[in-house]
Amino acid sequence: MKAQPEVKAQSQETKEDVWIPTSCGGCYAQCGILCRRVNGVIVEMEGNPDTPAGSGRICAKGTAQLMTLYDPHRVNYPLKRTNPEKGVGVDPKWERISWEEAYDIIVTKLKKYLETDPRGGYFQATTVQTSEIRFAVIAFMRAFGFKNYWVSGGGLWCGNGAHFMNGIMHAAWSIIPDFNYNNYTLYFGCSKGHGAGHAALQTAQQVADARARGMRAVVFDPYLSTQAAKGQEWVPIRVGTDGALALGMINVLLNELDIYDAQYLKIKTNAPYLIQPDAHYKRDKATNKPLIWDTADGKAKPFDDKTIKDYALEGNYTVDGASCTPAFQLFKEHVKKEYPLEKVAKITTVSVSTIRRVAKEFGENARIGSTITIQGKELPLRPSAAIFFRGSQGHVNAGWTSLSIDLLNHIVGAADVPGGAMGHGSPVCHGLPETGKPDTVPYACDDGLMVVKGWVYDHKPYPLRKPAPPTRLDLQDMFPSSVYNAFTICTPDWEKYLETFKIDYRPTFMVNFGSNSVMTMGNAVDVTENFLKKFEFIFSFNIYNNEFTEAVADIVLPDACFLERYTPCVTFPSTFCHPTGVDHWVWQIRQPVVEPLYERRDFNEVMLEIAKKLGIEDKYYDAINKVIPIRYGGDMSPKYKLDPKGQYSWQEVCDRVLRDRLGDNNGLEELKKTGLVKWPNKVEELYWRWFVPVRVPIYFEYFIEAGEQLKKVAESFGMPEIADYNFYKPLAQWNPCPSHTMEGSEYDLWAFCWRPSFHTQSSTQNNPWLDEISLDDPWVYLIQINEETGKKKGLKDGQMIWVENPIGKRIKGPVRLVHGVHPEHVCIAGCHGHWARGTPIATGKGVFFDDLTECDLAHTDSLTQGSDTCAKVKIYACKEKA
Amino acid sequence: MRYGFVIDLKRCYGCYSCQVACKAANNTPKGIDFASCLQGEVGTYPNALRQMLPTLCMQCAEPECLKVCPTGATKQDENGIVTVDKDLCMGCKYCMMACPYGQRHTVAEWASYFPDAEGELDAYQQYAKSKWEDKNGYGIATKCDFCIDRVKEGKQPACVEACPAKARYFGDLDDPESEISILIKRERGFQLNPEFGTEPSVYYLPAR
Amino acid sequence: MLLKPQSKWTWLVAAYLFLAGIGGGAYIVGVVADWLGGEWAVISKIGVVLGFPCVLVGCAFLVLDLGKPENFWRAWMRPNTSWIARGTIVISVFMVVGAIHFGFWLWPFNSLAGADGARHAIGLLGALFAFGTAIYTGILLGASRPIAFWSTAMLPLLFLVSALSTGVMAVIIGAMVGGGAEGPILALGKADILLIIAEVFVVVFYLQATHRLPESRASARLVLMESVAPLFWIGVAGLGLIVPLVLEITGAFALGGTGAEVAAIVASISGVVGGLFLRQVVLAGGIHAPLKAGRFEYAVSKV
Repeated sequence: MKAQPEVKAQSQETKEDVWIPTSCGGCYAQCGILCRRVNGVIVEMEGNPDTPAGSGRICAKGTAQLMTLYDPHRVNYPLKRTNPEKGVGVDPKWERISWEEAYDIIVTKLKKYLETDPRGGYFQATTVQTSEIRFAVIAFMRAFGFKNYWVSGGGLWCGNGAHFMNGIMHAAWSIIPDFNYNNYTLYFGCSKGHGAGHAALQTAQQVADARARGMRAVVFDPYLSTQAAKGQEWVPIRVGTDGALALGMINVLLNELDIYDAQYLKIKTNAPYLIQPDAHYKRDKATNKPLIWDTADGKAKPFDDKTIKDYALEGNYTVDGASCTPAFQLFKEHVKKEYPLEKVAKITTVSVSTIRRVAKEFGENARIGSTITIQGKELPLRPSAAIFFRGSQGHVNAGWTSLSIDLLNHIVGAADVPGGAMGHGSPVCHGLPETGKPDTVPYACDDGLMVVKGWVYDHKPYPLRKPAPPTRLDLQDMFPSSVYNAFTICTPDWEKYLETFKIDYRPTFMVNFGSNSVMTMGNAVDVTENFLKKFEFIFSFNIYNNEFTEAVADIVLPDACFLERYTPCVTFPSTFCHPTGVDHWVWQIRQPVVEPLYERRDFNEVMLEIAKKLGIEDKYYDAINKVIPIRYGGDMSPKYKLDPKGQYSWQEVCDRVLRDRLGDNNGLEELKKTGLVKWPNKVEELYWRWFVPVRVPIYFEYFIEAGEQLKKVAESFGMPEIADYNFYKPLAQWNPCPSHTMEGSEYDLWAFCWRPSFHTQSSTQNNPWLDEISLDDPWVYLIQINEETGKKKGLKDGQMIWVENPIGKRIKGPVRLVHGVHPEHVCIAGCHGHWARGTPIATGKGVFFDDLTECDLAHTDSLTQGSDTCAKVKIYACKEKA
Repeated sequence: MRYGFVIDLKRCYGCYSCQVACKAANNTPKGIDFASCLQGEVGTYPNALRQMLPTLCMQCAEPECLKVCPTGATKQDENGIVTVDKDLCMGCKYCMMACPYGQRHTVAEWASYFPDAEGELDAYQQYAKSKWEDKNGYGIATKCDFCIDRVKEGKQPACVEACPAKARYFGDLDDPESEISILIKRERGFQLNPEFGTEPSVYYLPAR
Repeated sequence: MLLKPQSKWTWLVAAYLFLAGIGGGAYIVGVVADWLGGEWAVISKIGVVLGFPCVLVGCAFLVLDLGKPENFWRAWMRPNTSWIARGTIVISVFMVVGAIHFGFWLWPFNSLAGADGARHAIGLLGALFAFGTAIYTGILLGASRPIAFWSTAMLPLLFLVSALSTGVMAVIIGAMVGGGAEGPILALGKADILLIIAEVFVVVFYLQATHRLPESRASARLVLMESVAPLFWIGVAGLGLIVPLVLEITGAFALGGTGAEVAAIVASISGVVGGLFLRQVVLAGGIHAPLKAGRFEYAVSKV
């Protein structure tokens, strides 16, 4: 669409020159920024020095938003699809309509579904504007009455495994090293401090400071990524094998070097819990609590007994006639037996000597036993950390890889203490002194294990959901720890799954907020044909017409971008993106720097309006009241709770939420002046592990029951093969992806993707400034292959090649021969290769990686339903010119 | 007072933020970046390394561009900033040949960042274009001036302020106690291509 | 690291370099012919007539290449450091002197046609500035110190020899068109054989000198084997050197009469065209030294 610009820069005379504080939405780091508006036009973007979320810095994506605000390709008016045909690459033949007509069409359709069966609705949302979705998405779903929701690639590729496992082990979304005191960090397939996303700019400063101080990083990565280049050592590793490597290292620590933090394990984990022969906890008959063996008194006691003098970590003890072993010993024996170094070396291609050496360095750098005094409190000092994220967990072994790597931290007691692996964003908050909110201090369940108080979803990471007959279209609520499912919906088997699991309704309508599932979830045609085309009606909020809207949207609504709207809670829930290791908490808002241009509208305003037109706004307000407690740390007080009988605008909702969380004097108008409220961080919040009486598992006893329950439910529907129950065992394991089981085939290379720090998934490629950088960059738009590998295949740098997966799906792009890629791999920057008409600058640039991946059960983690994002491929020359 | 820069390659992680911040602050047209970031790889697998080199005008103490400029449009002020008088420059591009660092730029016109969009330029580009034309122009040589206008207002150059890793420093090379002088001495700062004798005012701290 | 050549100075600049060379070279031929006198008189006129007009037309190309042509008149203002400024002065003086020399045969100055002494003196002065015109562009390019392909003493020498050679060939064309002066034409042809042979040697030495630095090696590869190679081998080696050399040798020693004349004209046109291609090859091969930081090298790529 070629928009006629209606906004003109006013005359040269400067009538207005103001700086407005707000929060950037270029990615999900949510840095605090200042925007300069001159005569109604935003002309400068800078970091806000006042906030610890960025400390005055701004990245390329943030600055480049100046281009996105005024991009003439933006969707500026509501659009209606006039071409009834849907599919990848189809021309929708948009017709501009008025907002009245758009509302009319949407409300008429939705009213019909509301009256007949509301359950068939599906909400699809972007992970980039997460603060927005916690209101409009969740409140609307509850008010309307449907449960189906996903974030497509942004979620599935990203962290089905990582986020839930970090939730179990750190009460947090991610983990990063404590850059303040850490000396040695192992990076497994993650970029923390060298990329984008969660608190990216703050971590960029923190890691640079740490590096200057002498912190060393050893980076395991099939690619010489930025973090590998900045680290002291790059250890190339075969993609998807990080979990095996971690378990091999744990084997070295426990069985060769005897390095482990006994104190931490005894008090802060379930290592001392006695395990009976059937692999479950040995429980006290009276209290049902898991038992430990007190070596001083020579008897079993409940784990939290006040008289315990010491805990056994090893040995065999007879309790009530059963021979029991502390979980620690079982774990220690398990890694010795299952992960000997020769086997690990074969799986990972990391040499035995390197595994041994790095494990030793990691263990020794942890300085077990040392302490440090901060804010008057003496705390363990453990300057070693092992961190991971998207790259290492984006595989069939997602959940277990996440746990295995993090277990390295718990073995040496380096969890949420000075120097160690920290939950990130900073998860434990005591709240503002004035209001006591947000309060996100975790607590212990009856078995002593940590339960989060605050989380990003209602479904907490622990305790696991009890498997039950599913009610969702993706069957997600049947699984104990799934966040989103793809394998159920993106294959031709969807209908079969629905029939088998007796879902008695079918998809009706979809609301999309910014997500581009056609491009970011897997093979574009599969996702479109198997999933998206099954919806009768799709309406979508977008800033551009993209591959998704052009393929399947019936109505496209012009979305106000982050510079044009209000969001009350940007840096909370803190565990999503709040910086860790900083002196202050900051609650940032987002406010319009300009009123929405053309006919763009705020997504939250529109969904509220639709709710009102459907007559469900009472349920909407009620839902918001219920959304707040777990996400923003505490119930709404009666004074500010939304009255279901009331009428509120979105701004009024924001105002009430802010006053409720931050105090009577911190409403929307006050916050608009500075954009934020700050208060000091306490040591009990930052290094919380030893201040909160909780334990975490190193032995995942409850997985057994979860697996049995899941199997029972699945069997009751006649499809026990919906998961591999071997994953539901208590001891850490590594499982291969399908790509790891194809030795000797003509598909001889592994393809995987990486993320450049100057793009945000699939949404930034139409930005001309970011496109200019990408064209200059030697790697981002090309397919990188090891030079030796390329030469052996007779390839020349720059020529066009095909990359083809085992089921014949292929992509093409120009090849770049480099030394920074493991020889067995094909390395492609993800989310490029656009083809939409609505994004002419993005279209035709870069390579579309996702077509190589498959969304079926074989490519899914049975534990978390995360997606496998690697593929075995073969490459060959393409006749076309590059 | 001689203005200078230090760029710490150990801190820089190659995010291109300086390049875009400069573009926004100086309103440079399509095709010109006063601060441009170059990517490099050395070594043989697995002992390979990658490092970004952020570049900008070196404001050389012995500027080649000034020597070769035939019209006298290229000048240097008392603080070492090299500027182009847009009224004198004839656009011969000799300076572009002579600069060892590729830091002299020219465009023939303001090419829209949205070439396929019909009608007028969008509001932001109208602003940017008029700001560009106030200070620079088309067909003539243009270059980084260390954001001297911002500096005069007491701010830092745009690239220094934006850098997420705080890898860029700006200050007075003539002051031995300035932050940059101390960094250069302590961290063994080096200049690029000193064999050309240009005596750049930009120093780099080693990556490792 | 992909080293790329500069892209700002191309055909318009090459045209100027070529025309400046031809103008300077032809004028020198004209001055020498003027001293020789006799049947060389017509040669002398041709050479002088070609002199400043070629340079003037060349200047038009330069002005066309300027980004802000209305400021062209400022080009002479910094001769203390700038070779463009110095060159502007040199070619300006040359054009004025050349015009004066040319004017000796024009109304209302024809009365001076007999003033040999004055004319010789003007010619000597003009020849000096013609020499400057022919050689300064090579020095100018050489002052781009980061471009190793240009910053060599061989380049001014190459441009000078090419200027003389193309100047001679231009005069031959002019003389053949005008008619008469067969003797001088043959002699010029023979002289050009020596000039072309000298030029071949200079080209070889020039290319050989590129082994010194990685960026000049990249230039040599570009010019001999990659994108500029066709222009070099066909345009410069072929049309500029081999064709005229072979034709002139056969024409001078084997053919006679009209054969020799045809050979001479074809050779000269070919050689002259080759001179333009030579300038473009030199420009198109210009690659900046990479930026060196520690073990890393980065190409300067947006020039």
